[in-house]
Amino acid sequence: MTDTDEILMIAVRGGDVAKLGVLFDRYHRALFDFFVRMTNSRAAADDLVQDVFFRMLKYRQTFRDDSRFKAWMFHIARNARADYYKTHQPETSFPEEAAGNIQSRSPFPGHELEQKQQVMLLQCAMFRLPEEKREVLVLSRYQEMKYDQIAELLGCEVGAVKVRVHRALKELREIFVKLSSERLPCNVNKSETTLRIM
Amino acid sequence: MQCQQVRDHFADYVIDSLQEPLRLQVTQHLNVCESCRTEAEELKSLWTNLGSVPSAQPGPEARARFDVMLEAYKHGLNNAPSRSWWHRLNQWIAVWWPRQPALQFGAALAFLLLGVLAGHRFQSGPPSVQQPSNEINELRGELAQMRQMVTLSLMQQQSASERLKGVSWSYQMQKPDREVLTALLDTLTHDPNVNVRLATVDALRQFGDQPVVRRGVVEAMTRQDSPMVQIALIDLAVDLHQKESLGTLRQLSQDQNVNETVRERAQKGISELE
Repeated sequence: MTDTDEILMIAVRGGDVAKLGVLFDRYHRALFDFFVRMTNSRAAADDLVQDVFFRMLKYRQTFRDDSRFKAWMFHIARNARADYYKTHQPETSFPEEAAGNIQSRSPFPGHELEQKQQVMLLQCAMFRLPEEKREVLVLSRYQEMKYDQIAELLGCEVGAVKVRVHRALKELREIFVKLSSERLPCNVNKSETTLRIM
Repeated sequence: MQCQQVRDHFADYVIDSLQEPLRLQVTQHLNVCESCRTEAEELKSLWTNLGSVPSAQPGPEARARFDVMLEAYKHGLNNAPSRSWWHRLNQWIAVWWPRQPALQFGAALAFLLLGVLAGHRFQSGPPSVQQPSNEINELRGELAQMRQMVTLSLMQQQSASERLKGVSWSYQMQKPDREVLTALLDTLTHDPNVNVRLATVDALRQFGDQPVVRRGVVEAMTRQDSPMVQIALIDLAVDLHQKESLGTLRQLSQDQNVNETVRERAQKGISELE
C-alpha cells in the first residue's frame, strides 16, 4: 500500500529524511512547471525546486499532523519565490520569437501551424497577466487545486478567489485578442520552456 | 437571476463545478441572455485552450541534484555538534509555546500584574512593630530634657506671662522628673500671680497619680490666700479622690477666717469624698 504524502512527511519530520525522496519524485515536476509558468525561467525554476525541498527539510518540524502536504508545499514554494525575487530581477526581457516563426513538420502544415500559433499566443498572454492573476490561473488550471484550497493557500475567502479567476480569464482573453489582432512578437522563450502539447 | 449574479458564478461555470439547482438557473439565464452567453462561452473556450499550453518538464539532472542536497543534509545532521542542554531546553519550551507575540505579551503582562498584586498583598499585612533604634531613643531623651529645661527656665522668669508659658510647657511632658514637679508645686505655693497659680493647679491635674503631687496639693490648700486658688485645689482633690485631704478640708470648712465660699466648697468636697 502506498503511503500518503502526509504519512511520508510525518516520517521525514520524525528523522527519516530519506522519505523525502519519494515526495520529490511525486511533486518535483509539478513544482517545476509552477515555477516556470510563474518566472518564465527554467534556470530559476530548477533552483527554486531544490530550494523548496531543502526548506522542507529545514522546516520539517512546522508540518503538523493535520497539515495537508500539497498546501504546505505550495506555501513554502510561494515563500521561496518571493525570497528569490528579493535578490533576482523578474524575467522581463526574453529572446524574442514571433509566433509566426514556428515551423511545422506536419503533413497538414496549415492546421498544425495555426494551432501552435494559438498556443504560443496564449502562452504570451499568460505572461502579460499581472502576477497575482496568473497565479490563480496556474494553480487552478495546471496544479488542479480547488478554489477552497487556493483560498487557504492565499489566505483569503473562496469568493475572492472566484472573483480573481473570473477577472483573470477576462483580462487574459483581452490580451489574447489584442495579440492575435496585432500579431505582436511573442516574448516567451521557446528554448526556456519545454513545449509539449497536452 | 440577474446578469451580475450569473457572472459571479463564471469561475465555477468554466470548470463545470456548478451544483444543481444553481447550474440550471445559470443555464436558463444563458439561454436567454446573449451577452452573458457570449462571455461564458469565450471564457470556457479560453479555459479549455489553456490546457493546450504545454507543461514544462525538468531536466534529468534534477533528481541527482536533489540526492546530493539530501546527502549533504544528512551528513550535516550526523556531524553536527551535539547541542547544548540550554538549546535543547529552548527547543522543548518552543514546542509547548509556539511563537505568538500577542499571546506572549499578554501572558507577560498578566504575570507582571500578578507579581505586583502579590507584592502589594504581602506589604499590606499587619504592620510590623519596629523597635526604635537607640539613636531615636537618645533623641527623644534629649528632647524631653530640653523641654524640662525650658519649663524650669520659664517658670523662674519675672514676667507672669513667661511663667504661664512655663506652666503650659509642662503639658508637653509625659513623665516630668521630680525637679519639674517640685518647681510646679513651688509655683503653686509661692507664685505672686493668681493666674499663674490657677494655671499650675490645672497643670498638676495630669500628674495626679504622683504621690508628691497629691501631697503638695493638700499642703497648698491651707497656704493659699486666694479663695479662687483654694476652690480650684478643693475641686482637684475631689476629682483625684484624695481621701487624705479630708482632714485639711474639715479644717478649712471650720475655720471662720477662711472665705465663706471656700468653706462651703470644702464642706461639699467632704461630703463627696466621704
